[in-house]
Amino acid sequence: MTDITAQLQEQVLIARTTEQPLNIVGANTKSGLGRISKGQTLSVREHQGVISYSPSELVIRVRAGTTISCINHVLAEQNQRLIFEPPVFNEQATMGGTLAANQSGPCRPWFGGVRDSVLGLGLINGLGEHMQFGGQVMKNVAGFDVSRSQVGAMGTLGVITDVSLKVLPAFESEVTMALNCPVHEALHLMPRYFREHLPVTGVSFWQGQLLVRLQGSQAGVDSAMKSIPGEPMEPLLATQWWHKLRECQVFESSQSQVLWRHNLGATDQQDMCHDDCLLNWGGAQRWQLLPEGEEATNGAIRYLGGSREAEVNGPVNSVARKLQGKLKMAFDPQSIFNPGRLYSWM
Amino acid sequence: MVSLVAPSPSAHSRKELVADLIAMVKPEQVLWDDENQRPFECDGLAVYRQMPWVTVIPDNIAQVQAIMAYCYGQQIPVVVRGAGTGLCAGAMPHASGVLLVMTRFDKVLELDGDLAQARVQPGVRNLALSEAAAPLGLYYAPDPSSQIACTIGGNVAENAGGVHCLKYGLTVNNLLAVTIVTMEGELVTFGGAGFDTPGMDLVALLSGSEGLLGVVVEATVRLLPRAEKVQVLMAAFDSVQVAGDAVAELIGSGVIPAGLEMMDQLAITAAEDFVKVGYPTDAKALLICELDGTSAEVAQQLQAVKSCFTDCGATSIRVAKDADEAARLWLGRKSAFPAVGRMSPDYYCMDGTIPRSQVGHVLTRIAELSVHYDLPVANVFHAGDGNLHPLILFNDAQPGDLEKAEALGGDILTLCVDVGGTITGEHGVGLEKLPLMPYQFSDQEVAQFRGIKLAFDPHEQLNPGKAIPTLKYCQEYRSIQHD
Repeated sequence: MTDITAQLQEQVLIARTTEQPLNIVGANTKSGLGRISKGQTLSVREHQGVISYSPSELVIRVRAGTTISCINHVLAEQNQRLIFEPPVFNEQATMGGTLAANQSGPCRPWFGGVRDSVLGLGLINGLGEHMQFGGQVMKNVAGFDVSRSQVGAMGTLGVITDVSLKVLPAFESEVTMALNCPVHEALHLMPRYFREHLPVTGVSFWQGQLLVRLQGSQAGVDSAMKSIPGEPMEPLLATQWWHKLRECQVFESSQSQVLWRHNLGATDQQDMCHDDCLLNWGGAQRWQLLPEGEEATNGAIRYLGGSREAEVNGPVNSVARKLQGKLKMAFDPQSIFNPGRLYSWM
Repeated sequence: MVSLVAPSPSAHSRKELVADLIAMVKPEQVLWDDENQRPFECDGLAVYRQMPWVTVIPDNIAQVQAIMAYCYGQQIPVVVRGAGTGLCAGAMPHASGVLLVMTRFDKVLELDGDLAQARVQPGVRNLALSEAAAPLGLYYAPDPSSQIACTIGGNVAENAGGVHCLKYGLTVNNLLAVTIVTMEGELVTFGGAGFDTPGMDLVALLSGSEGLLGVVVEATVRLLPRAEKVQVLMAAFDSVQVAGDAVAELIGSGVIPAGLEMMDQLAITAAEDFVKVGYPTDAKALLICELDGTSAEVAQQLQAVKSCFTDCGATSIRVAKDADEAARLWLGRKSAFPAVGRMSPDYYCMDGTIPRSQVGHVLTRIAELSVHYDLPVANVFHAGDGNLHPLILFNDAQPGDLEKAEALGGDILTLCVDVGGTITGEHGVGLEKLPLMPYQFSDQEVAQFRGIKLAFDPHEQLNPGKAIPTLKYCQEYRSIQHD
């Protein structure tokens, strides 16, 4: 439990005076994501601890350097859970980094992503001002939604100091149904899990196997599993699979290979799906491991591996680029934070 | 009562403006006379009124782009309006500005049953979208009380909520993509059919931006499957404190209802007098709880809710036997605002949100404030979310009554902030709550909001004077508070 807000503010003010860019780092578990930012390290890692947690409010507030593993542990003691199932990356991933890099797990389509759990946060802007946006209540529409805007910004708008999150009760029961089938059959079956009211929390396809995870009340899971094609998977194997998928460990990327990620409508561009591709999120997230130099289908992002010099997030239209550039200036007028981390031009 | 700062006179005469607009749209799409513009002078908060200078009702995106580019060039303010059901004077027109009415954008462009998504124009009514999706077994979850009339564009602008937010989220949680026309007339889309497109989340920034950042011309929203089973029950309590504690106890025990609403005695009796649904009028507080899911899930949850409420001291519990009875139990809650309205010439609806654990304390304090100001207050609210809707009864015809109601409302909202909540949970700041923004936010935070505004709208032409106060105002506010 350490509060180093004042120290972080001080470092930002020095960087501002000396015009020295800062590279904001938590536990450095996401250094392979995004582009490489050159700057002096601003470590948020020591800024740790649960600031408040009230199980009946379904709200936890933590400092940005608190690990996801720690949060999971604290919540589990009260039989609750983080809703968006983020990766823990060897138990090192921090809440600040998870939010900045927008990391959600296999349940994303049914329970929402980081953005849907965030209720508020503390932020140090490029002027060294420490501010609070949102709050600890379920609904709050006063002022612009600065908190959710940070999700996916890769720290380019400021230093996240603390995050307030909505949490939910832990699941009572879980089962994964496995069906061996070719990819086209899996694609045909997947939409059902968006349009039917079932306790589905994960749908993936890999190496000829369609897996559907059900989580919820005992009665709900028991009755739903009867309507899912396939056989129940051995629980330990199922847990290992969803862990591997969440932690992005299905593929091993290297300098010579690029792991591409496509986030798109679950039924869009189905012709790109082959029996050897990995589908997550009911087909709304697709992964391809390709040799460096080979371009993935339009709209994919260079998720991991290969060169990080070029743009990794795909093209941005000129109006969106202009608006994001101006927003960056509104938060960080001297471009201190993570230059180039999100886009080459920011 | 707040009034807009007097606008700087435009170089244009109204006649010139009308002529220029008619060159961009058909003549019948431009209104400038008092008689035709009268319906647009206010939104759902009718105590704030202002006749528009000129009203234009475009019907395609190219027209919106042309109008915006023109107004940008001429430095003419623009206020965007949907169905005008907002409750914070957010859509109140500008005396020397253009009112852009988006109701003709009323098409559901695409309904995709497989993706469970809809691409809609902003003027589509909230309920009409659910009706259109019904044949696919789907619906649009955010359901503000005004859902019969309010539009998706307005819902995005206000980040509208409703009774099912606790389980299914606000507008922002159900919005995948939004296309806007900027003040400069440029067209841009944020988000997409997939989840979590790369980069900063501008869909979230635009949600609830109250028409200050851009004109929503299209939205892609998620649709949800209708639950197999819905069950409604009502529990009566002999004090609001006990009912409030029961809410915290239920949520803490792990049950997340689809909706959990609370009414106090004044609201209960008003609703019962109005719609006669069988509410126990001797109860001090009533909880209405809706559960949804598969039949098996609902049966299990129903037992949990009944035993929780019984253990917490409910004096009676009534489980709806069928859909008809469930609808009647909801009817009382949904009619509560007009029912309270029958008891008084006017009422003023507040919208603070507080931590659930503070419900008992805040309701007790509201009762004390009600006595102090000598104005009755009925409480109807989204208990599961801690989103209060105190209804202050007053008589606008009585001199000073409105000011008294506003002062009482202000005290209630600052109380919400004091206990860790906010001045608005779902209605927005608009013009109405502008004076309270410095109470919730520091000058630095307000300056940051202003920076965001200027990034999108460099000359502050879009819905000027709303939602975000000036720093000058904040400083004056603080100097008065210190005196």
